[in-house]
Amino acid sequence: IFEYNGSAIVAMVGKNCFAIASDRRLGVQLQTIATDFQRIYKIHDKLFIGLAGLATDAQTLYQKLVFRHKLYQLREERDMKPQTFASLVSALLYEKRFGPFFCQPVIAGLGDEDKPFICTMDSIGAKELAKDFVVAGTASESLYGACEAMFKPDMEAEELFETISQALLSSVDRDCLSGWGGHVYVVTATEVTERILKGRMD
Amino acid sequence: MSRRYDSRTTIFSPEGRLYQVEYAMEAIGNAGTAIGILSKDGVVLVGEKKVTSKLLQTSTSTEKMYKIDDHVSCAVAGIMSDANILINTARVQAQRYTYAYQEPMPVEQLVQSLCDTKQGYTQFGGLRPFGVSFLFGGWDKNYGFQLYMSDPSGNYGGWKAAAIGANNQAAQSMLKQDYKDDITREEAVQLALKVLSKTMDSTSLTSDKLELAEVFLSSGKVKYQVCSPESLSKLLASIGLTQPAAEAT
Repeated sequence: IFEYNGSAIVAMVGKNCFAIASDRRLGVQLQTIATDFQRIYKIHDKLFIGLAGLATDAQTLYQKLVFRHKLYQLREERDMKPQTFASLVSALLYEKRFGPFFCQPVIAGLGDEDKPFICTMDSIGAKELAKDFVVAGTASESLYGACEAMFKPDMEAEELFETISQALLSSVDRDCLSGWGGHVYVVTATEVTERILKGRMD
Repeated sequence: MSRRYDSRTTIFSPEGRLYQVEYAMEAIGNAGTAIGILSKDGVVLVGEKKVTSKLLQTSTSTEKMYKIDDHVSCAVAGIMSDANILINTARVQAQRYTYAYQEPMPVEQLVQSLCDTKQGYTQFGGLRPFGVSFLFGGWDKNYGFQLYMSDPSGNYGGWKAAAIGANNQAAQSMLKQDYKDDITREEAVQLALKVLSKTMDSTSLTSDKLELAEVFLSSGKVKYQVCSPESLSKLLASIGLTQPAAEAT
């Protein structure tokens, strides 16, 4: 059921910045029905979440997160820290322990003093914090390999963009359920750059 | 004679009045004034702060102006604790609508649902009504900028200019004289500050006794902006309303 729609998401940490990238294919098993599907959502200027897995659960989970985050913003009069947000997502997923959302979230954000934070979790909320990169989706095994090989610590934004794009494109080429280009967000303390990649369009 | 009929909110008096609701409105008459003005390009909300002790730690939070959602905000007059509950309810209702329909809640529907909550407390449950009046200012794509006033009875109305709290009658009549249909946001700010200065008890008008908030469109998105004390002082000076500090007692 995780392989129904196909997805590939990766997030990497750089020097005072992070990048999060996803593929753009939406399929129904082997048929591609959209090539511009958005998997990465902005929660606030310094916090992004990518949702891999079943597309309907990803969209609903995102809407629930927007609900919770907006109320938090109104009541606390500030944005949520990435660590807090990760705990919120984990709690929401565990609430449905015996009838889960079929999603794997990848959370990436800039925390206190703009220190990059990334984490992923499984569909029932088990957090996996990492210092270098996290991956999710049907292409995750290839992504692990590609990232492990290409990652270097403390990369600047431009180099990070190149690395994450290469890792994503080469991994989705080995996975028939993900691909059709890539969508990369590179976030530093001062700006957010969004870029579309053209890869093997299949 | 009214003593037999005012202890329960759920009972009418022989003259057909709900005394508890009217007493609630009395409570609001003692609170700081708030004025709202609808203009062509925005809604202006101004409030008079009642508590201005030097010991009060004023952080970023405001006393009279609250944001309900990105496109709606409100000014409060009355019992603050009651207001907090209602504001929280309004916020959750707005988010629930957005979750269900994936678009912002229309302003009138938000006011209506909040007033339905308030009305419930006048009809059943045996609980007292909320001692708060609100001025809601917001924008939606159906009707543009709107201003609504609601009171403890659960009634609400759409207004071009309205006042709640202390001296609201005087403020309302002043607004009736000076309001023009095609007023701009800047003129509305000036009018609101002028009316407020005339109805306020204190002799001088300084920026720490007021709160000013505006709802307007900026590059296609609704913005809610609370005026900072520095810009508020400058505004007051430009309209000629500030008294020099030496004169203020």
